[in-house]
Amino acid sequence: MLWERTLLHFNVADFAVAVERVVDQTLKRRPVIVAPLGSARAVVYDMSEEAYQSGVRKGMALCQAARLCREAAQLPPRPELYRKAMQGVLKEARLYSPLVEHGVEDGHIFVDVTGTHRLFGPAPDVGLRIRRQVRDGLGLNPIWALASNKLVAKVASRLVKPVGEYIVAPGEEEAFLAPLAVSLLPGLTVREVDRLLEFRIGTVGQLAGLSRQQLMVPFGSRSTFLHNSSRGIDTSQVTGMPLETAPIDCEHVFASDTNDRQEVEAALLKLVATAGQELRNRGQVARRVGIWLRYADSHHIVRQASTHTGTASDFLLRRLADLALERAWLRRTRLRGLRLVCDRLHRQSSQLSLFPETKARSLRQERLLGAMDTIRSRCGQSLIGRGKIVSAENHGTVSVAVSN
Amino acid sequence: MNRQPGKILLAGGPDKRGCDIFLGTSGYSYTEWVDNGFYPPGTKSATMLELYSRCFSTVELNYVWYQMARAEPLARMAAKAPQHFRFSSKLTRTMTHERDSEWRAQLQLYREGIVPILERLVAVLVQLPPDFDRTVGNRRYLAELLDGLQGLPVAVEFRHASWAIDSVFKELERRRVTLVTVDEPELPGLFPSLDVITNPDLFYVRFHGRNESGWRSDNMQKKFDYDYSENELFLWCEQKLPQLAAHASHGVIYFNNHVRAQAPNNARRLEKILLNRATG
Repeated sequence: MLWERTLLHFNVADFAVAVERVVDQTLKRRPVIVAPLGSARAVVYDMSEEAYQSGVRKGMALCQAARLCREAAQLPPRPELYRKAMQGVLKEARLYSPLVEHGVEDGHIFVDVTGTHRLFGPAPDVGLRIRRQVRDGLGLNPIWALASNKLVAKVASRLVKPVGEYIVAPGEEEAFLAPLAVSLLPGLTVREVDRLLEFRIGTVGQLAGLSRQQLMVPFGSRSTFLHNSSRGIDTSQVTGMPLETAPIDCEHVFASDTNDRQEVEAALLKLVATAGQELRNRGQVARRVGIWLRYADSHHIVRQASTHTGTASDFLLRRLADLALERAWLRRTRLRGLRLVCDRLHRQSSQLSLFPETKARSLRQERLLGAMDTIRSRCGQSLIGRGKIVSAENHGTVSVAVSN
Repeated sequence: MNRQPGKILLAGGPDKRGCDIFLGTSGYSYTEWVDNGFYPPGTKSATMLELYSRCFSTVELNYVWYQMARAEPLARMAAKAPQHFRFSSKLTRTMTHERDSEWRAQLQLYREGIVPILERLVAVLVQLPPDFDRTVGNRRYLAELLDGLQGLPVAVEFRHASWAIDSVFKELERRRVTLVTVDEPELPGLFPSLDVITNPDLFYVRFHGRNESGWRSDNMQKKFDYDYSENELFLWCEQKLPQLAAHASHGVIYFNNHVRAQAPNNARRLEKILLNRATG
């Protein structure tokens, strides 16, 4: 028998700020803006609710944000710390289900608890328990919402931000969404929302009143998505991949928007090094490398490059990443961020080469990377790296030039 | 005359006109009850209340303990139940288990949220946590909370034994607030099972099960895993229920041992015993 799906959505509002406030309790009493400091063109990475109320937004220039909220504490982003906190939240959620999906250090988690009632009891109780455990163990207080699919759960948690909970009973999805503004529906682009408002369609209920055929005219292939979303239909699964099969996803946000090729390549090199080390730790190889360019005007372009054999070597990963970057970097607009995704993963073959002398070069590279991984695992990620990374960061750390 | 399911008239009442008893469970939307045969195979949550109301005359709404009562979903839910069907509504945990300085605003939201079921409301159930003992601060809080609930039918369930004293019962009686009679494991420190009537309009009984080992496990599947035997229910019908029915015009009985659909099965078993006694 097919059970109705039961999904929990947890959201630690303003995740970076919430984590910083756990570390430094005095920040609870004042607004907080997280942004790379010491750069005239730095943009806001995250902000507290108070700063948001003052008009500060993500991606806004820091100098403008500081003018809007003068009393705010300004902190540099610490992605490692946020990653660690996220792992703590995930650990609590995984006690209740193997199907846990999460974003990249953004405090959003979906937990599929379908069919777990005999073990853990009713789903609202599981939601409350996870929230309590996260609150008591980590000092974070997530919003939680319960619904039959991801779309409705996400909308429900948006309604109670920054704290609270929302339960949408199965069968109630369409009625729940009907009075809400279309802009609350996840997955709609700004352009689509504007278009709907042009047609004087302001609520989800009004959108649901249109047939798929009617939506086809202005929205083309997106009509099915809009039609289903407005009725609270979302069949997407909580992927819940174990960490070993999840793609490797790293991101770099530039301190200030840039189109400087050297700076972008240095950032890319750093991402490649991080991804390569993760692949080698897992004993996996990637057959595809994707580059996700985020432009200053909020547009983004994604391109990939792939290989038949799969690799965990920084050298080949770098070549693939360069190729993908070349395909993606088509505009002259400055870049805000750069994301590298390694997927199509499979286990690294442990079979030795029949003619090792032909692989001498790659063996040397492998040994070198192995040695660098060992140093990094003992002494920290930033201690050793390839020449370009170090010069770009200007950290004054030990640099090792590695020729391709 | 057709009898409404889950409703029985027992001899008694303050004016000897009898006591109307409504039977039900704490919550009705459990997937597990499909697995265990209370609901037919394939039953969806959206149709559960309709099926439930064919067996019982009342339900205690549990989910409003987890989240604030909201008018629109409650109105939609009430529309699915037959006209004679009654609701009890738990007070949200932000006013009982996780109290803070904002509780008055929460109470106002709650009062607004339950408006759609007001006409069919048996009682607002104020279930207090086990660590809520009878201190001066807690007494003051409870008094203010009951003041805030004025105008609504209210039942109070204590979990701490320190509240089992005459002065508390007298104050509840003065306010016409129902003291909840519980059936639960006999563990030290727990509020005892008493047949004290503090409100002649209503008695309120909650059967939690007697699972001693699971009670403090923090896992509802263990805590409320208990199947009442015929004899245990028979004793209730012989002793406590006649005593309660003798002094109240109405009564509600809820089974909270929801695990493996024991709650609806036990409620139906109790109904059968009561009917046999009433007719026999």
